[in-house]
Order: sequence, then structure tokens, then C-alpha cells
Amino acid sequence: MSFPNDLVYSREHAWVRIDGDIATVGITDYAQDKLGEILSVELFPEDSPVEQGEPFGAIESLKVTIELISPVSGDIISVNEDLADDVGILNSDSYDTGWMIAVGVRDLGELDNLLDAEAYADYVEECEEVD
Amino acid sequence: MEEWRIIPLEHFDSFENMAIDEAIFRIGRQREMPPTLRFYGWKRPAVSLGYFQDAEREINCGYCRDRGIDIVRRPTGGRAVLHGDDLTYSLVAGENSPHFFSDIVETYRIISECIIRGLEKSGVEAEMAEEGRAGSGSAEAFCFAASYRNELLADGKKICGSAQVRAKGMFLQHGSLLMDFDPVAVCAAIITKDTEAEVKALESSVTSIRKSVGDNVGIDTLCRNIAAGFEEVLNIRLIEGELSPEEETLRDSLLENKYRNARWNMGRGAKSGH
Repeated sequence: MSFPNDLVYSREHAWVRIDGDIATVGITDYAQDKLGEILSVELFPEDSPVEQGEPFGAIESLKVTIELISPVSGDIISVNEDLADDVGILNSDSYDTGWMIAVGVRDLGELDNLLDAEAYADYVEECEEVD
Repeated sequence: MEEWRIIPLEHFDSFENMAIDEAIFRIGRQREMPPTLRFYGWKRPAVSLGYFQDAEREINCGYCRDRGIDIVRRPTGGRAVLHGDDLTYSLVAGENSPHFFSDIVETYRIISECIIRGLEKSGVEAEMAEEGRAGSGSAEAFCFAASYRNELLADGKKICGSAQVRAKGMFLQHGSLLMDFDPVAVCAAIITKDTEAEVKALESSVTSIRKSVGDNVGIDTLCRNIAAGFEEVLNIRLIEGELSPEEETLRDSLLENKYRNARWNMGRGAKSGH
């Protein structure tokens, strides 16, 4: 399971790639593995406001529906339209072509609430220990 | 011994039922609430849609309207269920609470064991589906047209369908246990290509409490037995309770702003926000 070092992560298993004040957001390799085969995804549309810790959409897999929880606050400036054609890229390429939304971040200080790759890997280990 | 809240069987309309479950789920994740098991019935027949289903494409909306069948979208995923002759349960718990797991399939398995114990007490021999059975034909939009691992079968036929939603470390699981089953009504309410063939397919793949044990087990007895199943399998005590004032307030707001709103029920979920 990979957690690239150039990303930061939320405890709700979202990854964030920061470029200036733009955050690109997706789900982690751990999340897609836990979900199993993903069937559908629905994302809030462009220009929607999102809040850190609040939903920005939902995913349905064969096993479960989950709310997608935003790791940052701001306005959605772009949505990955390719997911509508091939939701399978969330399973096969969750860190790259499987990105979900880009957000114009309102408060970069909120990033302090997120985890670096090493801390996220530890967190995932804790989650597994509970199992 | 760990104590859970149980909200005993009551009948509400479909919109109220979904608003109550979502209120318990959302308040539960803000507070350190004990897990809550709730049983309910349906004042009026209703089709509940899975979160991602498209009402116009999968449900015979005109038929439902003409016969006073509500259409409501669930917060949980999965496929459509025709409610009326079923006992529905909801379970809200933290995914890391002592008896549950962040592993989704394992959670289904544990809850299934509790229900199987309750069904045994009711004279119904049930088992978990070891392997999935794919849906066949055009009734695939219907929950009971397919079974997945860890769902419940009696006499090899599906008797209980379940679906889950997870957010922020909590899960809400819905399940529908069929007291009686009318494949003709199901095929009329759900869009099918070949109704006659679908009725036959459902007759041979779906069963009900009444089919299994006749009229010997009523809905109240079934609730008691399933509650006992949870207590025995998980070694917990269920304490009768009701909604908190906070949950009631949220229920009322969800009713007005979401579940009595056609935009939520007939549209697709996340785009409208919550």
C-alpha cells in the first residue's frame, strides 16, 4: 500500500496535493482497498463551498456507501469529469487520474490538521490493529 | 456488560423513518452515544431507493403515485426495496466500538449472526450467503434480486437485505426482513423488461417469514427474538429508549429539508449537498 511523500492526508482517508492555494483531493490507496470495487461516485459541483470535516460527495462500492469528507475548506474550482466515464480509476489509480476535486483553499493553516505520509501510515496501522 | 439503546417497533411513514435514522446517525457521530438498534414498520407502503439509484430509470413512478406508494431515497446504498410487509431495522454504531470493526464485511457478518440467532428463536433456519448470487434479468434494481456474501438466506432464498453508509467513524446499517413477499407487487413497482419472467425468478429466489413458519411468528415476536439475538451474540444489554431532544430537532429539520423534498427523493444525492 503506498502513501506518497508529496501528499498530506486526512483521518477520513483523503489525500491532498497542495499547489499554491489550490488543493487537489482524492481518496487514499487504503480507502479504495477497504471499499473494494467502486460502483459510483457523486461529487458536489464546481463553485460549491466545502468545509474541512464536512461532506463533498459520496461513493458507493459493492459493500458500502461512504460520505466523502473534505480535508480542506474553500470553493470547488474543478471536478474530475473523467470519473463519470470510468469510476474504476478510483481503484486503479487513486493518486493520479483518480483525483476528485480541486479546491481553492480558504485557510492554508487548516493543513496543520492533516497528516504527513509517515503519520498517515501509522494511523492506518492503528486502524488495522482495531480490526 | 455494555449497554445499547433499543428503540422499539413503531410505524412511521417512509420520510419519517429515514429522517429518524439519519438523525440518530448524525448526532451519534457528534456525541459519544451508545450504539442504537431501532425496529420500525411503514404506515404506508413505500419504495426506498439506494442512495445512488435513479428513480425515473429504475422505479415505475407512475404506478407508485397511482397507488399511494411513497418513494424515498435512503442515506444508505444498495438497491430498491418495497416496504410494507417487512420489518426494518437500523443499527448505528461507531465502526471501532468494541463489537464492530472498520472492516465492512466483518461488520455485516457480526450483525448477520445476531439476526440469524433471532430468526432461529422464531423457528426460521437462516444462514449467511457464502458466495454472492448475481442478480438476473431486469429486476436488478430490486434489492432482493441479488444476494451478496454475508446476506441472509432461509431455505437458500434471500430473506433479509442490508445496506450501510459510513461517515466519520460511524456506520448506519439498514436491513429489511420480509414478513411476507409479493413478487407481483415488486415487479409492478420496479421497472422490468419481462415482468412475468421476473416474477417467476423472484418467487424462486426470495422467501419470507410467513413462507418459512406460517402465521406463527408476528412482527412483535420477531422484534423480541432479534433483540435477544443481539444480546446473546454480543453479550450486551439493550435498554429501551427514545430519541433525544437533539435527535428530534434534527429529525424534524431533515424531514422538512430533505426527506419530504422531491429534489432529494427523485434526484441524485450528493449534488444537492446535505
